[in-house]
Amino acid sequence: MVLILGTIIVLAPFYMMVSYSLKSPGEIARGEGGFFGRQEMMIDPRCVALRQPGRSDIEAGSARFPGQDDGGVQAALLAETEADCSMRPVVFNYSKAFTEAPLIRYLLNGVIVTMSIFLIQIVVALPAAYALAKLKFWGRDAVFGLVLFCLLIPVHAIALPLYIGLAKLGLTNTYAALVVPWTISVFGIFLMRQFFMTVPDDLIDAARMDGMSELAIVWRVMLPTAIPALLAFAIFSVVAHWNDYFWPRIVVTGNRDLFTPPLGLREFKGDGDGSFFGPMMATATVIVTPLIVAFLLAQRRFIEGITLSGMK
Amino acid sequence: MSDLQIASITKDFGATSVLKGVTLDVKDGEFISLVGPSGCGKSTLLRIIAGLETPTSGNISIGGKDMTQLRAADRNLSMVFQSYALYPHLTVAENIAVPLQMRQMTSLQRLPVLGGILPGARTQKDDIAQAVRHAAEMLEIAALLDRKPGQLSGGQRQRVALGRALVRDPAAFLLDEPLSNLDAKLRVQTRAEIAELHRRLKATFIYVTHDQVEAMTMSDRIAVMMGGEILQCAAPDVIYEDPDDIRVAEFIGSPKINILPLERNAAELTMFDKLLSTRFSIDSPKMMRLALRPEALRLTQSAPRLTGRVMHFENLGSEVFAQVALDSDGSRVTLRAMPAQRQNLGLGAQVGLTFDLSVAMIFDAEGTRLRRAELVATRTPEVA
Amino acid sequence: MAAVDPSVANIAKPNSGQARAGWGLVAPALTLMALILLVPIIVAGVLSFTNYSLGNPGFDWVGVQNYERLFTRSTYEKMFVATFTYVITVVPISVGLGLGAALLVHSLGRIGDIYKTIYFLPVMATLLAMAIAWEFMLHPTIGMVNRALEVACGTWFEALPFFTNGCAEGFPLWLGDRDYAIWVICFIGIWQGFGFNMVLFLAGLTSVHRELYHAAEMDGARSGWERFRLVTWPALGPTTVFVVTISCIRAFQVFDTIEAFWPQGGGPNKSAYVMMFAIFEKGIQQNLIGIGSAITMLFLLFVMFLTVIQRWLVERKVHY
Repeated sequence: MVLILGTIIVLAPFYMMVSYSLKSPGEIARGEGGFFGRQEMMIDPRCVALRQPGRSDIEAGSARFPGQDDGGVQAALLAETEADCSMRPVVFNYSKAFTEAPLIRYLLNGVIVTMSIFLIQIVVALPAAYALAKLKFWGRDAVFGLVLFCLLIPVHAIALPLYIGLAKLGLTNTYAALVVPWTISVFGIFLMRQFFMTVPDDLIDAARMDGMSELAIVWRVMLPTAIPALLAFAIFSVVAHWNDYFWPRIVVTGNRDLFTPPLGLREFKGDGDGSFFGPMMATATVIVTPLIVAFLLAQRRFIEGITLSGMK
Repeated sequence: MSDLQIASITKDFGATSVLKGVTLDVKDGEFISLVGPSGCGKSTLLRIIAGLETPTSGNISIGGKDMTQLRAADRNLSMVFQSYALYPHLTVAENIAVPLQMRQMTSLQRLPVLGGILPGARTQKDDIAQAVRHAAEMLEIAALLDRKPGQLSGGQRQRVALGRALVRDPAAFLLDEPLSNLDAKLRVQTRAEIAELHRRLKATFIYVTHDQVEAMTMSDRIAVMMGGEILQCAAPDVIYEDPDDIRVAEFIGSPKINILPLERNAAELTMFDKLLSTRFSIDSPKMMRLALRPEALRLTQSAPRLTGRVMHFENLGSEVFAQVALDSDGSRVTLRAMPAQRQNLGLGAQVGLTFDLSVAMIFDAEGTRLRRAELVATRTPEVA
Repeated sequence: MAAVDPSVANIAKPNSGQARAGWGLVAPALTLMALILLVPIIVAGVLSFTNYSLGNPGFDWVGVQNYERLFTRSTYEKMFVATFTYVITVVPISVGLGLGAALLVHSLGRIGDIYKTIYFLPVMATLLAMAIAWEFMLHPTIGMVNRALEVACGTWFEALPFFTNGCAEGFPLWLGDRDYAIWVICFIGIWQGFGFNMVLFLAGLTSVHRELYHAAEMDGARSGWERFRLVTWPALGPTTVFVVTISCIRAFQVFDTIEAFWPQGGGPNKSAYVMMFAIFEKGIQQNLIGIGSAITMLFLLFVMFLTVIQRWLVERKVHY
């Protein structure tokens, strides 16, 4: 019924993406071959072009093809090249995906960036959340009010001034630029504070009696109890920043080595012509898969995370 | 209003059998309570009567018409829920009006703006408002009509729930532990009010509770349920004085009834090797059980049938309850005494107890009541 | 709150100790908040009144000229039209679909979990990757969509005007077509977002008291629609407000799809020239920081306004 129709629409692009990552250019253009494509051997035109036999090759090759004239030798060499250059579309697409553009590098960047962002966010947010939830100090309410106010500000909105600032500091095209604006997660502070408020005061007093400094309390007492909320927040943060396109697009303009996965994909697209669609879809599949796999494995946590963050 | 018949209702949830064949005839205008410990199936039975659950087998009829296939909304029954289940976004007046709106107005008439313009809508609304007012006045909540449930106390909310139930004049009222969320004092007061409401409306009330005091004080008949079956269904005094099953005897009555072992040797009845009667000639099992209410035990100095030490003592002001540990086997019996006898019941005091065999109840080892045995036992002269 | 035991020495210490610790722990967060969130707003505000460009040593004050431009030039008119079209289309539909999906999934119980997963996938997937997938699906000749539509030619579908034209002259160019481009973007936005809303609604649904449904049944509410009106919808009040606000804010921030499909220009005839893209184009690509800042300020205004309204509504409406 309705749900099934919805499923079709929702899954259509995924289907297409994976399917095309498995097909040859010809199949793509003609729209045939079912989901997996027929996986016939195809010939990579670029590979062949690169290995076009020149004069010297023909001479060298004539030894191997006795009794043939130059044209014949050339044809034979071409046939060899073609044989060398033929492969199954799957292999073609995915290997091109990894070689035409440094996909591994991009994926690595994605990991580096999301991990850095998340770790710094925790380091900044946890102590602040603890202080706001459990410590009494003059101005606490004002600070919390400020936190609430900052919740209203989407970081993407202030991209422009941030960019100017970074440009002035000469920090564009660096990892720092990709990571720094996200280090303050007001949302994280808010979430953690709500969570910390439910931790019984006695636990903290006991730690104080044991001689722990407040900082130690944050890391040795509060952190372990907050694991579920942290997990939810981690999911939220990693997904958002892995998929983020806007900010890296602004900030990484020259240095391709710094491309995050979405940027890498975009660049791929800009580069290639229509016949490169297979590898592009392969790249897209590779970028999308890690998160989806993680999602399927940890579904419940994911959705808990979203709702926890949403319902306050 | 008409008779309600419950015929051989069973209910299984997967492998567990919650109701094992329940049959009950409820007369028109009767107040009948379903009592039992948690898990005995009484709430499930109520929901099946309401139509909120379907039985695995059996049927429900109201006024001779089989209702088992009808959904709850079509059965013309009203229910008061344990949690009251009031619509939080509607005022008290609107809450009470909902059943009338649902049944008397078509869905077109219920549309917020359009409905008001349709012909006849005005009179409908006025009629409903009047019925609501009437119900509210009966329950003394007329002043609260404009408030929302969130602004009311527990007792007030309960009345609103009652109002919503009675505004429609249904074939029967179903009440699912309505007093359990109230504090003790309010409970006592509301008990009386519900009983009065029943008398006033002359409607059929089916009342589920785990509190036997509520059942005893309000009902025309009590149905004691345990383990998915009705053990006995009779008037409160019959349940109290003439139980069919030892479990009924134990459940009803506070403090709990005393159970003592009874042995028969040919024609002799003995308890703890003390002879009670010699001409017991019924072919009853050898091991039986004797049940005695706390008020059936008497302090005695001479020829006690039981002796023991007072281990615990409760002075309720109007009466006194003492727990005595018997010398014979250490088991405890509870005895009710008058305030005047307090001095004889100090902690640790050694006391003697006796009782009349004629007010005792005899049960066999499985718990079934042996009435003939009692008859015989009492006719024979007692042995000192 | 730790009770202060008078018999313990150093009574004065605990409070000031806490205060110091408090400020110490909050300091990094505060500084970052100020630097990364607050200062830029002020900077943007100031710069919106200038004609600054990155790389220039100085700048001139141009007063409200930038803002004037925003409200008069046709390009910006298109910007407002595109942005608001997008928001007004995407938000209600994705909220509605999210609610519908949540209701359906909720009623299915265990089996519903599969659908829940499926519908949530677009939210997870990198939008850019999926946008490119969609772009190809919408290719005028070899794309799946038009090919599927072509299948309908020759059947009764052809009676519908859309199909009559399409079968005869070829189906729309979608992304290349001025009339359709913005709607395609809207569609993709809805496709991507409704799963998120669905999850939020599902959470709200589980918090509705089951007994209320029983009460409604006893009161005579026979159909699903009546139960919805009487119990479900009122209970979902706060959730709905939240979902709408979040959806609005996300909708205002749309960028990925626009930039991916039309790296220059924001759609055929600028029909998809949304605010975020305008900021990007004017501020970053064309280095017109003044105008870019002005758009930024307006954007912030809209977002903050929306959120404040949500807070206010929640205070008022949630009355239990």
